[in-house]
Amino acid sequence: MAVSSRRLQKELTEIKTAGTPCGITLLKADDFQTWFLSLEVLGESQYKGEVFALMFRFDPQYPISAPAVQFVVDDKYKAPLHPHVYSNGHICASILGGEWSPVLSVIAVCITLQSMLASCKEKKRPPDNDRYVAHAPDNPKKTRFVYHDDEV
Amino acid sequence: MCYICREEEHHDQPVEPPVAWVHPCNCTLVAHESCLLSWIQSSQQDASRAPNALKCPQCGTIYELESYNPRTLRFLNKLNSVVSMAGKVVTVAGVSCVIASFGFGVYIILTSYGAYAVQEFLGKEFFDLVLTEDPSNWPWHAFINLPLVPVSLIISRTPLFEGFPLVPLFLAWTTSPPVQTTERLMTARWRRAMTSGADTPWGPLINWPPSPLMVTFLYPFVTKLYRRYFRRFQHWVMGTEPSTGTTVRRYVWALNDDRNLQVQVDVNALPAREEGQQQQGRPQGNEEQQEVDPNGEEQEAELPQDPAAVAERTIRVTSASLGRFVGGALLIPKISNWMGAILFRLSKYSPLLRRFLAIRPPRTGAPEVFGKWFDSQPWSQMSVARQLGVGVHMALSVVGGGTKTFAECDPVWWRNSVGLGIFVLAKDCVNLLHLYLTKREIETRRVKSRSFEGVDIKELDLLNPPQNPAALPLPTVA
Repeated sequence: MAVSSRRLQKELTEIKTAGTPCGITLLKADDFQTWFLSLEVLGESQYKGEVFALMFRFDPQYPISAPAVQFVVDDKYKAPLHPHVYSNGHICASILGGEWSPVLSVIAVCITLQSMLASCKEKKRPPDNDRYVAHAPDNPKKTRFVYHDDEV
Repeated sequence: MCYICREEEHHDQPVEPPVAWVHPCNCTLVAHESCLLSWIQSSQQDASRAPNALKCPQCGTIYELESYNPRTLRFLNKLNSVVSMAGKVVTVAGVSCVIASFGFGVYIILTSYGAYAVQEFLGKEFFDLVLTEDPSNWPWHAFINLPLVPVSLIISRTPLFEGFPLVPLFLAWTTSPPVQTTERLMTARWRRAMTSGADTPWGPLINWPPSPLMVTFLYPFVTKLYRRYFRRFQHWVMGTEPSTGTTVRRYVWALNDDRNLQVQVDVNALPAREEGQQQQGRPQGNEEQQEVDPNGEEQEAELPQDPAAVAERTIRVTSASLGRFVGGALLIPKISNWMGAILFRLSKYSPLLRRFLAIRPPRTGAPEVFGKWFDSQPWSQMSVARQLGVGVHMALSVVGGGTKTFAECDPVWWRNSVGLGIFVLAKDCVNLLHLYLTKREIETRRVKSRSFEGVDIKELDLLNPPQNPAALPLPTVA
């Protein structure tokens, strides 16, 4: 328990002192269970002007175990239209699954997702979006994603 | 700084008690040994991270571990994985055995039904010749053909396959030799002198009844002709025109539908009455569906077009109709046997019928076998042309007259087939009668009026109300 809290405390301190990268802001980080950050893709991209919100959920084994990350879908925020983002906000990204390592951090994940959105060529949903969303679990870590498209 | 827990330790301020640090790879990442070990252990447990467990996330160098790994442990791990593999094999084998035994059970049922059907249809004598009751005597193709019998009986009732019932069955057996039971082999030996090898094992070229092979070939044509002419007859009786549109048939599965629906004759006969009649859901009833539509169209002006017009084109498969369909199909051999028996009885009174049915006394001689005759011919002495001629003659005879076993036997199968045809004709006529009477019933319906005694006269919507309510005639127009 202490490991995850200590590490998250350190990350939080770093965010508060060094600030967040461009396009990323800290919305809410009151406890060591759930954090909210906002994400915006800067420069010329398909998502110019769109603001998204990310929800991070940590478990006691963080950073040994990966955080559960998804886009927030409510009245204010929508999931971005991306071939790796489902309409319920779940993200198909290797760094959140098999490629997770403790060298990454919350900010690192945000930057990776920012670049994933920025490099997107075509705004569309994943091909199995409807089927996935109908049967999706609440926690995206429970899904066994198959990472096939590496360039997007 | 440990890259896992992000704790820092300064060189001049060592932590008490001292923790072990490790630099396991080529890049600048360092970590507490305990943090790294717990990371490696947890990612080895997780299937999605296991391939990367021993790799540095930044530079990709493989971590090297040292541990107390004696031979005993290695041996036990190996043993465990071998036994697990065996366990997997056992699981697969067990499941497939269960499935296979189900399939085998189904196969046994189908085959025994097939043998029963063949016996019913071909008659006992023939059955003993070609199959006998003991499965160890059956020729190899019996085991393929027999289970197909119930399947082909059922699907021959569907519109697709009306012309092709039991084709594999007949093709195989019209030419098969009689089964070699030990009993037959012994009698054959004893009569070696009597049955000379020169006797051809096939019957004359043109024979009555025609050989089963011919009957099989002619059967589709006969059915098509029959259907066409009967359909015309039906349309004439019912007074309908044949529908021009394609019969788009949807199958509606309503297996829980317990309503006893009246026979659907036309659009107006909506399912509402609880009579003892059941709805004709069988595809045989597609003739009704076809004529239903034009009937509905004719009466469109008088009565509102009903959404049931579309429903007329669907075939409702209720539990009743499914049972009738399958049960009827499986009863065909028994029915044909009964009809054949009836015909046999009738033939005692009519020599003409006897000739037509070609009733013969049961055969007495030993059955001929193809092989024997084949071997006895001087093949090597004949020229190629003659060989060809003999071969063609043989084939034609088998097609035309059937093997001698068929030719000399009492053709139970022939009268069974004829009987079945008569039965089908009679059944179709009865159905037609049913339809016709239903139609008449609907056409002759009138609603009975009652007198107005006891009704308040002021309630009625009359133009010139009379004084005495009893004087009101039964109204035709209000």
